[in-house]
Amino acid sequence: MVAAIPIATLILFIGIMLSGDFLKRPLTQKDNIPQMIQSISDNVLMEQWDEAENGTKELETAWKAIVHRVQFSSERDEINNFGTCLARLKGTMKTHDKNSAIMELSEALDHWNNLGR
Amino acid sequence: MVLVRSIIGFFTLLIFTRIIGKEQLSQLTFFDYVLGITIGSIAGTLTTDLSSRAWPHWVGLLAWSALGYLMELITLKWHYAAKMLEGEPVIVIMKGKIMEKVLKKAKYRASDILALLRNQGVFDPNQVEYAIIEPNGQLSILKKPEFQPVTPKDMNIQVQDSGISTELVYDGILIEENLRQLNKDKDWLMNELRQHGVYSLSEVFLVALNSEGSLYIDKYEDHLTKVTDIGDFKGPF
Repeated sequence: MVAAIPIATLILFIGIMLSGDFLKRPLTQKDNIPQMIQSISDNVLMEQWDEAENGTKELETAWKAIVHRVQFSSERDEINNFGTCLARLKGTMKTHDKNSAIMELSEALDHWNNLGR
Repeated sequence: MVLVRSIIGFFTLLIFTRIIGKEQLSQLTFFDYVLGITIGSIAGTLTTDLSSRAWPHWVGLLAWSALGYLMELITLKWHYAAKMLEGEPVIVIMKGKIMEKVLKKAKYRASDILALLRNQGVFDPNQVEYAIIEPNGQLSILKKPEFQPVTPKDMNIQVQDSGISTELVYDGILIEENLRQLNKDKDWLMNELRQHGVYSLSEVFLVALNSEGSLYIDKYEDHLTKVTDIGDFKGPF
């Protein structure tokens, strides 16, 4: 018991700290971030702005849900940068700026890949 | 996020220091001291540096603690390494003479030695036969025979073994295990307490029995009319 409690505590801590890579995997169809980014990218390239804007809103909702799961095992900077990309992406949807939208989506995907690693 | 990281840092530090740190603070060498500061600093960064993940800091904490533990094992098993890593005691006053070269090598000034002597209650270096700087930086001294305090043995006085007191009641609660070890029971204790004017265990804060069989009894009500205040200045309490 004397050894079991500290060992169990340390294992729990390690689990929390390394859980990011596991917890960012999609649990439902509505929180598959890479797939959503890809879908928005396709819509932007085809200049289907309404679909792209809806996709961005869904991406934002999914991100808000996921960020609670991965916050303990991720860098704050990566979380903040993803949030910034999302905000800028929303702006490009309003101006229908294809180049900037693709850039933001590409950067967001990169931040997503670095999250929890 | 900071709260979870604080819990991780706090308990990790607690577990690691329990594993590596058996020594008292006064026994720490300079390296142990620096090691403690570094490990504490890593734990602090783990808690509040949100720009990086907790994991690399935790691995750093683990590595420093593991190395500290390894050093402790090495110095325990290998005396040669212990001499290199922790240093060794050096004699700075021998037969009343200050060893200047040793002092210089140990990077101590004469005034440091005099201060350390004063800490030991020695204000006149003439009284010192030997003074040794221990690896933890403390000074051990052996006074000249004429300045050694008189002991009962010098005076051929017979003294009784004072032994160690055992607590029987603490905060009004009976410690039955200690009573059993002394082959006494609660009836005996209550009988003894009644003779001292105590009729309930809830009246006493502490009861201890020494090896000579006499009881120390401290009641909650001390009946002191004037309590000495040793504070010099006015303050909030």
